[in-house]
Amino acid sequence: MNPYLAVAALVCTVGLMFALPLIPALVELRRKSDALPLSVVQQNAGEIRYFSDSFRAYINGLDPIMQGCVAAGTTATGALPDGEEYVVLGRVDEPLVLALQQRDTTHLVMGANVDLILPAEVRFSKDIYAGGQFIGGIKNNFRAILGEKNVHLGASSRVLRWVHAVGEFTADAGCGLDGRISSDSLIRLQTDCGFRRLNAPRIEIGSVAANPEPPLPQLHSLASSGRPPRFLHDGDFEVQAGQVIVGDILIRGKLHIRSGARICGSVKSVEDAVIADGVAVEGSLISSQKMRIGPHCAIHGPVIAERELAIARGSQCGTFEHPTTVSAPRIEIEEGVAVFGTLWAREQGQVVATQ
Amino acid sequence: MRARPQQVRSDQGKPASGQWLRTMIYVLYIIVFVICLYTGRHYCFTLNRLFGFQRHPYIDIDTADWPPVTVLVAAHNEEKVIANILDALMTVKYPADKMLVIPVNDRSTDHTREIIDKFVEEFPGRIQPFHRAGGKGGKAAALKDAMELVTTEVILIFDADYIPGAGLIKQLVAPFFDIEVGGVMGRVVPMNAGTNLLTRLLDLERSGGYQVDQQARMNLRLVPQHGGTVAGVRLSALREIGGWNENSLTEDTDLTYRLLLNGWKTVYQNRSECYEEVPEVWPVRIKQIMRWAKGHNQAMVTYGLHLLVGKHRATLRERIDGSLLLGVYAMAPITLVGWGLALGVFYQGVAPLHGVIALLSLTAYAAIGNLAAFFEIAAAARLDGTRKRICLLPFLILGFGVSIFSVSRAAAVQMSDFVTGAEFHWDKTERFRKVL
Repeated sequence: MNPYLAVAALVCTVGLMFALPLIPALVELRRKSDALPLSVVQQNAGEIRYFSDSFRAYINGLDPIMQGCVAAGTTATGALPDGEEYVVLGRVDEPLVLALQQRDTTHLVMGANVDLILPAEVRFSKDIYAGGQFIGGIKNNFRAILGEKNVHLGASSRVLRWVHAVGEFTADAGCGLDGRISSDSLIRLQTDCGFRRLNAPRIEIGSVAANPEPPLPQLHSLASSGRPPRFLHDGDFEVQAGQVIVGDILIRGKLHIRSGARICGSVKSVEDAVIADGVAVEGSLISSQKMRIGPHCAIHGPVIAERELAIARGSQCGTFEHPTTVSAPRIEIEEGVAVFGTLWAREQGQVVATQ
Repeated sequence: MRARPQQVRSDQGKPASGQWLRTMIYVLYIIVFVICLYTGRHYCFTLNRLFGFQRHPYIDIDTADWPPVTVLVAAHNEEKVIANILDALMTVKYPADKMLVIPVNDRSTDHTREIIDKFVEEFPGRIQPFHRAGGKGGKAAALKDAMELVTTEVILIFDADYIPGAGLIKQLVAPFFDIEVGGVMGRVVPMNAGTNLLTRLLDLERSGGYQVDQQARMNLRLVPQHGGTVAGVRLSALREIGGWNENSLTEDTDLTYRLLLNGWKTVYQNRSECYEEVPEVWPVRIKQIMRWAKGHNQAMVTYGLHLLVGKHRATLRERIDGSLLLGVYAMAPITLVGWGLALGVFYQGVAPLHGVIALLSLTAYAAIGNLAAFFEIAAAARLDGTRKRICLLPFLILGFGVSIFSVSRAAAVQMSDFVTGAEFHWDKTERFRKVL
């Protein structure tokens, strides 16, 4: 073989091998099929009411039909602009609801002042709008509910995506609340309810008034009192019973705050944190691992545990005037706890009976 | 592993030459080891990001007694972009009475001042301009002077070409409820990604850097880097470490290390995303990366040794990761030296036995391709849910080539400046957006 030809063949082969991976690249560079900027959430800000607000806007055009149905006590059916079917109820009775359940592929829309009382074990896989009171039966299954008044779920019911109640939202024992649950006034969950993300001015677990034990320590907002000093400790640390610490405490170890102590500042523990009964924290309370908050504690700022969080009966997080967030991947919360603001379990939240 | 004398043909009877060759081989071994270290680091980060526990501890804080916050917008001749960010900041979801925007107009000679003043009139009480007519150049110096207007504990910083979304301010403020946090960094997303090959490559690089590198450091409790924009700093922490360092070319890197050495953490919020504009032409990109390299190397010289062996509050893993992070821009000249040595040793006729050939091959593999970094970017593209842009991955070799020579040149210039006593000067990154 001609040596020049051999060299040329070698150069061509190597060049081809080098160019081969560039072919899809050149095609994509020319076509720009995936050249838009990455999608960044610019507007909705992950707000809990985003879906319910969107649904309200989505069915907004049904207002005249709703008013007509309520006035005449009739039912109307039709399709929304995107082709989704709907049923508008001007009156509600059990046979009608059971009949609707057979047509499970329609959105259910109930006019103002039309209260809905559902029988047991019904299932709706489309979103529901309730202009009046919404009272679910036991073992109901819902995709999403927007209630202009109170929304109540019967025992062992399940919500897959979201509920928003302008009035109160209450759930009986054993309900599974997988999505976003919000209320403009109150959320109350009973024993064995599972939850993910709750938001309301006041969230009660079980009956808060049923635990009138020692009064909660009074809290003061840090915002008005300036920045307290920061106390940093390497290793495990204990705050003694009844001790009052003015300042932030950062513990690079395990933290144990004993009964009745008061921290006039924020607390951070990079390992597990155990908070005994009657403790008050005027700022935030954060653990990089697990955290257990004992009975009758009062925490003013955000409560964050990076692994697990348990809150015992009678404790309170935030206040009505200063709502806050309680968050952890897994949360166990006893009856008698009150949270003002957001209660968010990324993986699983569970209401457990008082021990 | 040692090269045996009989394997080196050319040094027989020439002891001085043999000595040199052995030295070259040993230096090459060290370089290969360091490159392997960085390669392992890339793989470790990528695998963590794909399969490990993901830390986003503060992202769920959506309800709180939000503290007052000051937003500093660094602006030097930013007439093309300043209106966009001020518009965006006026519509964010943060209590208006608790947020003050301070545009830091640093000696602008274009219409930046007029645009800012127009916004001040339109939004009385919500924007307090800081017009700086003289003083030392550079972002750090401008921010340092602007601090006289800051009274809030939480400070957020944006460059003027960024466009924050509605929820971003709350997301960046939320970590400051943790008293261990001194600095916060959000994610940067190029908005002009599709403009040309360069912007598309930078888009991929940014994905790898933030989606994988920064988040993995957050997951592993290492040293997420403060980026100086889409970022926040705690006033008390800033005061404790002595404020902004106006002599630093990269005030963000400088801040990261001073916070770390003083017991403060910088945390990364991967879901706090913000659009930015990336360079659209190579000369601007080269200038930008050279400035970053100089600043980073400056921080390496200033803090490297103290971080690794000094007495301070950083953990062992932070010391190791922080040191490796400080060395990233030094790797470019080191790799070039590695290439030179590998070629030199090859032409000296070293018989590459007993694993030497493998090491040399690895040098070439890791240095030229550094497939670990490519793997990291591919993983980032997957995590971002994009599909076709990953096809551009082979073109990254182009970006890599430009970077390695630019960064090496920056290091050479920096050393030359050190010898001659020349002062650093600040190179502003050119903007490409159309004037509104």
